[in-house]
Amino acid sequence: MAPIIRITDLTKKFGNVTAVDHLNLEVEEGEILGLLGPNGAGKTTTILMLATVIRPTDGTATVGEYDIRKNPEKVRGLLGIAFQEPKMLWVSTPWDIVNWHAKVCGLSTEERKRRVKEVLESLEMWEARHRNVHALSGGMRKRVEMAKVLIQRPKIAIVDEPTAQIDIVGKHRIWNMLTELRDEGSTIILATNELYEADVLSDRVGIIHRGKMLVCDTPKKLKDSILGGDIIDIQLEEAASPDIFQELKKFKDVVDVLQLKPFNLRIYLNKVEEVIPKIVNMLTKKDSPIVSLRMTEPSLDDVFVHYTGLTIEEAQKSGE
Amino acid sequence: MEANKLLFVVERDVRLFFQYKFLIIMRAIWFVSQIALFGIIASRLVAVPDYFPYYVSGLSVMSLYSAAIFIGFDIYEEAEHGVFEYLLSLPVSRRQLVLGRSIGGGLRAFIYVGPLIAVSLYVIGAVNPLNFLLALFSLFLFAFGVSGFSITVAVMIKSSDRFDILMGVLDALIVRLSTAMYPLAYVTQANPLYGWIANFNPVTFASDLFRWGTGIEAIITLNNPLLPLLGVMLFFGVFMFLGTMIYDRRIEGGGWQ
Ligand SMILES: Nc1ncnc2c1ncn2[C@@H]1O[C@H](COP(=O)(O)OP(=O)(O)OP(=O)(O)O)[C@@H](O)[C@H]1O
Ligand SMILES: [Mg+2]
Repeated sequence: MAPIIRITDLTKKFGNVTAVDHLNLEVEEGEILGLLGPNGAGKTTTILMLATVIRPTDGTATVGEYDIRKNPEKVRGLLGIAFQEPKMLWVSTPWDIVNWHAKVCGLSTEERKRRVKEVLESLEMWEARHRNVHALSGGMRKRVEMAKVLIQRPKIAIVDEPTAQIDIVGKHRIWNMLTELRDEGSTIILATNELYEADVLSDRVGIIHRGKMLVCDTPKKLKDSILGGDIIDIQLEEAASPDIFQELKKFKDVVDVLQLKPFNLRIYLNKVEEVIPKIVNMLTKKDSPIVSLRMTEPSLDDVFVHYTGLTIEEAQKSGE
Repeated sequence: MEANKLLFVVERDVRLFFQYKFLIIMRAIWFVSQIALFGIIASRLVAVPDYFPYYVSGLSVMSLYSAAIFIGFDIYEEAEHGVFEYLLSLPVSRRQLVLGRSIGGGLRAFIYVGPLIAVSLYVIGAVNPLNFLLALFSLFLFAFGVSGFSITVAVMIKSSDRFDILMGVLDALIVRLSTAMYPLAYVTQANPLYGWIANFNPVTFASDLFRWGTGIEAIITLNNPLLPLLGVMLFFGVFMFLGTMIYDRRIEGGGWQ
């Protein structure tokens, strides 16, 4: 089946900042595609171009069978978008906002009434529906922003950090609602910098960094793709010397060694059972006592670190 | 379906306006005090007979003008809160959006100023039903045109401070170089150039038509309402067209101050 969204060499420059840089991506119909990337990676810019809110500098994308440059109106007919920053005037009320949105998106009166109530109730915004936006908390505004898309149920839903600022119960509720939306046939693009969210929700995850798509696959394949299916975290009593670093890298089955903190090392490796005793031996010989040693499986964090070459902390800082 | 969308866009702007209760009340007070104070006092000064009804009708058109301009300020408010981007992401064409908003911006000005006009008509006690309908229609078009004009300028300038200042200056120029407050003959007497400009001013068209329609023009009778009517239509058409073009060209999220 042809992909429902095909992005080709999509590029956006703001002055001399290249926010999105020849980005390529295909999204299959009915999947949740996670766009994972640090602050400033270009997720929102990509989304805004897909939604025809801003124009690409170069490249293009087709949504359904329509080109975003040639047929923006048709494209918008297929899309619904929940923005990263809730977009609402302070004098409005949640009810005004979602009700009008549902009208403009073509819901019948009866359907609109039913769904507005249903979704606002699920998001625990029904009670607050007649309060002015300026009297709502950040998380509540974000819920209203999400409610628009959940009521609309567009063919393609784009959600930009859908659960940022939302409490944990709310997060789970929104995740469920998004999964339901997908199960009913919508395609979802989910931009996020929360690895857990990307992992639990996405059928496939694309990692985007400095405006480029680094890799895109199922979370499982991504995790398997980093060489060394195993990870051990070692905490030493004192900072690891460069010498230890080198020694570790010399082991045949060790793929990569990262120094997360001065005392903490993360080793990506194969055949963990065979290598661990050797590592312990080596460290003992070098007089570098081990405080703890823990085996883990790779998470999306590791995938992220692997492909961007940044730790999560660094990644968050790089965008600021 | 498509027509519905246009209506929803109109509806949104109309509802939004009436959320600004403070503004609404203050403007109404301003309007009433202009009539009750300035109108009554100044007409004693002015040698022109029946200046008071003349002034009241001009004031109505001026109020309509400034209420219709208000939509430009809304656009900045929306840009600030990102609502602009939201509107651009909706399954509504840019054309529908500008047209809907120009109509919405004009209609709400009309709904708002309408009762004030009715009050002033009552005060003046002059109504000529048939002409009145035509005048009303042209005031509608005038209001839509002004609101289209305001949107066009707002989108071109993209800076709320500058828009505010520019609109203040334009308001002074456009209203003063029109027949809103004084008959054309006097404007021309003062300076032929002023008169010439006032002749092509949409505020003049609207004021003349309104006076003609209400039959309260005691000073100079408008023999041919067709010319100002065409003028108002042209004004409306040009700014609908310009608004759509510029909206489509210049609009992108971002770049607003
Ligand atoms: N309107 C704009 N004008 C100028 N630069 C912009 C504009 N919008 C985005 N940028 C720049 O483009 C780059 C990508 O920004 P974008 O908002 O797409 O990142 P993001 O991946 O969504 O980040 P975040 O996780 O913080 O939301 C950043 O460097 C940002 O500063
Ligand atoms: Mg973003």
